[in-house]
Amino acid sequence: MVADSKHASKDHRIEVQATMRIAASVLAALLLSFATCAQAAEKGLIIRAGDLLAQPFIDAAKSAPVTANQPVTILERRGGWASIEINGQKGWVRLLNLRLDAGPARPAASSGNPLAGLRTGSSGRTVTTGVKGMDEEDIRNSTPDYGELAELDGLGVAAADARTNAQRSKLAENTVEYLDKGRKK
Amino acid sequence: MNAIRALRSALTLGVLLALPAAAQAQFPNIGGLIKGAQNVKKLGDSFRKIGEEEEIKIGGDLASVILGTAPLLADPGKQRYVNRLGRWLALHSDRPDLPWKFGVLNTTDVNAFSMPGGYVLITRGMLDRMRSEAELAGVLAHEIAHVARKDHLNALQNGMRDSALGGFTEYVGGGSGGLGAAFKTALINAGKTMFIRGLDKDDEYDADRMGVVIAARSGYSPYGLVGVLQTLSATPDEKGFALMNKTHPLPVDRIDRLDRAMGTRLDAVSPVVEDLPSFGQMRAARATPAAPAQPVRRRPRRKS
Repeated sequence: MVADSKHASKDHRIEVQATMRIAASVLAALLLSFATCAQAAEKGLIIRAGDLLAQPFIDAAKSAPVTANQPVTILERRGGWASIEINGQKGWVRLLNLRLDAGPARPAASSGNPLAGLRTGSSGRTVTTGVKGMDEEDIRNSTPDYGELAELDGLGVAAADARTNAQRSKLAENTVEYLDKGRKK
Repeated sequence: MNAIRALRSALTLGVLLALPAAAQAQFPNIGGLIKGAQNVKKLGDSFRKIGEEEEIKIGGDLASVILGTAPLLADPGKQRYVNRLGRWLALHSDRPDLPWKFGVLNTTDVNAFSMPGGYVLITRGMLDRMRSEAELAGVLAHEIAHVARKDHLNALQNGMRDSALGGFTEYVGGGSGGLGAAFKTALINAGKTMFIRGLDKDDEYDADRMGVVIAARSGYSPYGLVGVLQTLSATPDEKGFALMNKTHPLPVDRIDRLDRAMGTRLDAVSPVVEDLPSFGQMRAARATPAAPAQPVRRRPRRKS
């Protein structure tokens, strides 16, 4: 009896913890998708003429031709592909055939624009009162800071630490040859 | 193979040690005298072939220059995150065994730097603009490629052609005597010029191409860097981008060169990830201690 009730309360505790964990991960997923949505609506331009494809494959059906400098809305990035909306039509183009539209100058991170924080999914860190930028003059006038260097030297992690961390994240190691320059298109 | 390599190292070291000594014997006032093409060539050759220890020392001096303009971000969590990711990427470069060190700089400017010997610095402004861990991996891998290719040594040797070659031995030995100090001053000035003018443009394209491969080898989408270049392509005239824009080819040209090289060649590399929960967690974590709200001092010191 006693053992059973102990068991029951332990089970209950585990259940509560599990529920909280699920709630936390749902919340995290929601936040992440919110951030993804917020950053996904980007305006871009086609770099070179080509085709809008029905699916993200090189041999997918062609939906429509696209021309250089045509404006698009980027809906999603997936590997080498981007899902776009162009003239009211949705489809896929190569990510490497898109540049972003400069449009009206976006607020610098230091402006404190709430959207800047939203875009990066950060917690207001982009509101950076009092932190200065770094320009040419700063470098020209720089006095080497060896105190900070000592700190930097202490930040390095061992290869084993990096490996363990990557394994925890289930990162794969792939065999990939270096690329040559390729041909002009 | 190893024996050959050891012999080659020994020969290089011998040339390196003998060169300044011989030059000093020939020209007692070495600092101002070595200007002949022969000697410049020798300096160039020897600079790229210096030992790892010497390279790290040079890298440390140059990192101190950048750290003199912006201190490290006082956020151990983010610094550790960037170091683990950076080291993992560097393990898939041609120089996995350098004592790699990565640092996040506390500045809103958008930029990233690297120095000989395995130093890589990324600004908080850059970190804030990353969409995913694969994008951050792309930026770090590009910098790692510069270090692996020794691009900085190329750039520095041009800046140092008239400088105190004879002081190299003293500099490396850690002496603070005249020649060593003269070499160090010349090195720091050449480093400043390098950071202001940038590396050779072709070296940037080459580092892009090598960087995407390093990312893919490490399990990240090779298109992360492309996403970053797209972000940069939309911000030509913003103040926080001025130095980076000045020191790099146009983002659209870099995308174009990457397109030529990549095509769909890396699409089959699998498995790769676009993002990981660790990136969102790093983003969400509040800095400990909180980001400074007080007016910035010229060179804020974190140790007191």
